[in-house]
Amino acid sequence: MPLKESIFVALDTLWSHKLRSFLTLLGIIVSIWTLVAVVSLVQGVNGYVGAKIAHLGSNAISVSQFSLEEMTDQKLFREARKRNKPITMAEYDYLRDHSRLAQNVVASSSRGTGTNLKAGNHNMTDVQVEGDTANAIALAVYDVAAGRFLSPSDVARGNNVVFIGPDIANQLFPGVDPIGQTLNVDGHDYQVIGEATVQGNVFGQSQDSFVIIPIGVYHAIYGTKGSVEVDAQASSALALPALSDELRMLMRSVRHLHYADPDTFGLIGADSLMALFHQLTGVIAAVMIGVAFVFLVVGGIVIMNIMLAAVTERTREVGIRKALGARRKDILSQFLVEAAVLSTVGGLLGVALAWAFTLLAGQLTPLPFALPWAAVLVALGISTTVGLFFGIYPAQKAAKLEPITALRSES
Amino acid sequence: MATAASPLGTVPPVLPATDVVIQTVDLWKIYQMGTEQVAALRGVSIEIKRNEYVAIMGPSGSGKSTLMNLIGCLDSPTKGQYWLNHQQVSELDDDALAHIRNHEIGFVFQTFNLLARATALHNVELPLIYAGVESAQRSARALEALKKVDLVDRKDHRPNELSGGQRQRVAIARALINNPSILLADEPTGNLDSTTSNEIMGLMDRLWSQGNTVVLVTHEPDIAEYAHRVIFIRDGQVARDEPTARGRKARV
Ligand SMILES: Nc1ncnc2c1ncn2[C@@H]1O[C@H](COP(=O)(O)OP(=O)(O)OP(=O)(O)O)[C@@H](O)[C@H]1O
Ligand SMILES: [Mg+2]
Repeated sequence: MPLKESIFVALDTLWSHKLRSFLTLLGIIVSIWTLVAVVSLVQGVNGYVGAKIAHLGSNAISVSQFSLEEMTDQKLFREARKRNKPITMAEYDYLRDHSRLAQNVVASSSRGTGTNLKAGNHNMTDVQVEGDTANAIALAVYDVAAGRFLSPSDVARGNNVVFIGPDIANQLFPGVDPIGQTLNVDGHDYQVIGEATVQGNVFGQSQDSFVIIPIGVYHAIYGTKGSVEVDAQASSALALPALSDELRMLMRSVRHLHYADPDTFGLIGADSLMALFHQLTGVIAAVMIGVAFVFLVVGGIVIMNIMLAAVTERTREVGIRKALGARRKDILSQFLVEAAVLSTVGGLLGVALAWAFTLLAGQLTPLPFALPWAAVLVALGISTTVGLFFGIYPAQKAAKLEPITALRSES
Repeated sequence: MATAASPLGTVPPVLPATDVVIQTVDLWKIYQMGTEQVAALRGVSIEIKRNEYVAIMGPSGSGKSTLMNLIGCLDSPTKGQYWLNHQQVSELDDDALAHIRNHEIGFVFQTFNLLARATALHNVELPLIYAGVESAQRSARALEALKKVDLVDRKDHRPNELSGGQRQRVAIARALINNPSILLADEPTGNLDSTTSNEIMGLMDRLWSQGNTVVLVTHEPDIAEYAHRVIFIRDGQVARDEPTARGRKARV
């Protein structure tokens, strides 16, 4: 039987049992949906974060208490925790004063727990508070939307001034120009001097809910126990390795490390940050894809089951076709094509759902979602293959029927 | 007329006459029912020549359908030989049998055996699909065949939208579409009233007069009278084999 004919028969059968077909295909639909959506999600997030990091400046490098390897490897981290010391302001001053390759050397301090804000009778909880040097704006992801950033004299004198994220402006100063207003952060009053541009959400987490105060003020209130993060900017990407070497050399000398001693600090560049991020999303994707494959196998078994039922149900049809000259391979291909068409339709529905998902996610998040065409093709290929594979046994069963036995069957 | 069963059982016929299209030699069909054996055919030896018109009669359960199914290559014998156009069928493989069912034999069943979900036209087309005829030619030929059984205006009807007689005519059109030389009909009028039966038999008659070999099973003596020869089967054996009145007339 020609392929076109088989496909026609298959679609006709599928259509005449719409609900049953749909239920049969749930496994395939869900798995293809997951596959395509996960790939789209990972690509979207990677693209977004990549753009953010690029914006931050791939020419930046951070000096921090731990390296990325130490932060992501349990064993390394346990060793490093005994050895590495927090970066201090004195060390920051030393780096700033002695680095010849860095254009800007910035310090910031922040902590894990959120902060409570108050302005008039408005309150906000769980806001990120950060202490910065005045040049931090040069390396920040945001720009100044209104007012100004911390000035060198604010930082030098320890003025009680605050630069706020747009969420703070919206929630605590609705309908009011926040500049010049008083904002209470953890019981201390500050004068608002500026507001940042909007960044949006990442993973549903607002990037606009922060307040920034002079770094000296921060240390006076929240203590100096935590590590200062030092960010240095190279003149170009090409100058980055040299800057990295220089920073390491300066840090080792200020800490008086012996040449055989390991580093007691970490250097993190935008490239290693991106690599770490890809590793992270890769793990998420691998898990999701694993789940999708379980669905796929379940979907395949369901298809096998339904095809076995179809063969039993249509034994007489097989008998008629054989009586009229159908060969084994004609019957075999008819049922194989039917199984493949069934699962491919499931795959198409899954892709359609994934497409709807990417559209919706694109609306609700700033992530650049797109339907990954390569993943769509692979997913459809996989779903067709699953149908073919799990259709083999039922199709063989049909093909092997003796014409007269099949004709005599009651169905 | 009946070829006596060879005393040696399975010895192949000595150079069959060239116009013999169907020849069975000591054909047995034994069904195993649990521990019990049911012999549906017990050594049937018959010869049917090209363009003969043969009726097979006998009491219910005597083995008529079993014999027809063997002749139509839908079933295989337990023992004995079956020569179709001088080819021994038991030596053929599955694909060759399918080819024979497709090209050489048209089978008409008492219960029509049409595909319920397909239109009349599509049902008639089916053998052409397996013959590898391409689609445009297929529908043209199927339409032609429907014209011969006078059902062109019903081509888009499904079997459940047709009367019994119309269904059987579709089945006959389907049996003829590939121009088989042998038409086998197992009680083709068994489910039809006498007027419709006569209509169907008129069709069979025409096919015979066009040169086809026709073998039909029937319980009704007046249907058998359309044939030229009647083979009576009893308990799985040939009991009698004789010309009908029409056959005798034709011979004179
Ligand atoms: N698949 C089968 N398994 C077991 N016994 C069978 C089978 N098919 C037929 N028989 C037996 O073989 C015998 C002959 O059956 P067959 O169908 O050939 O009879 P028939 O002459 O066509 O009868 P009818 O006129 O009622 O159609 C019967 O006794 C029947 O019970
Ligand atoms: Mg019968």
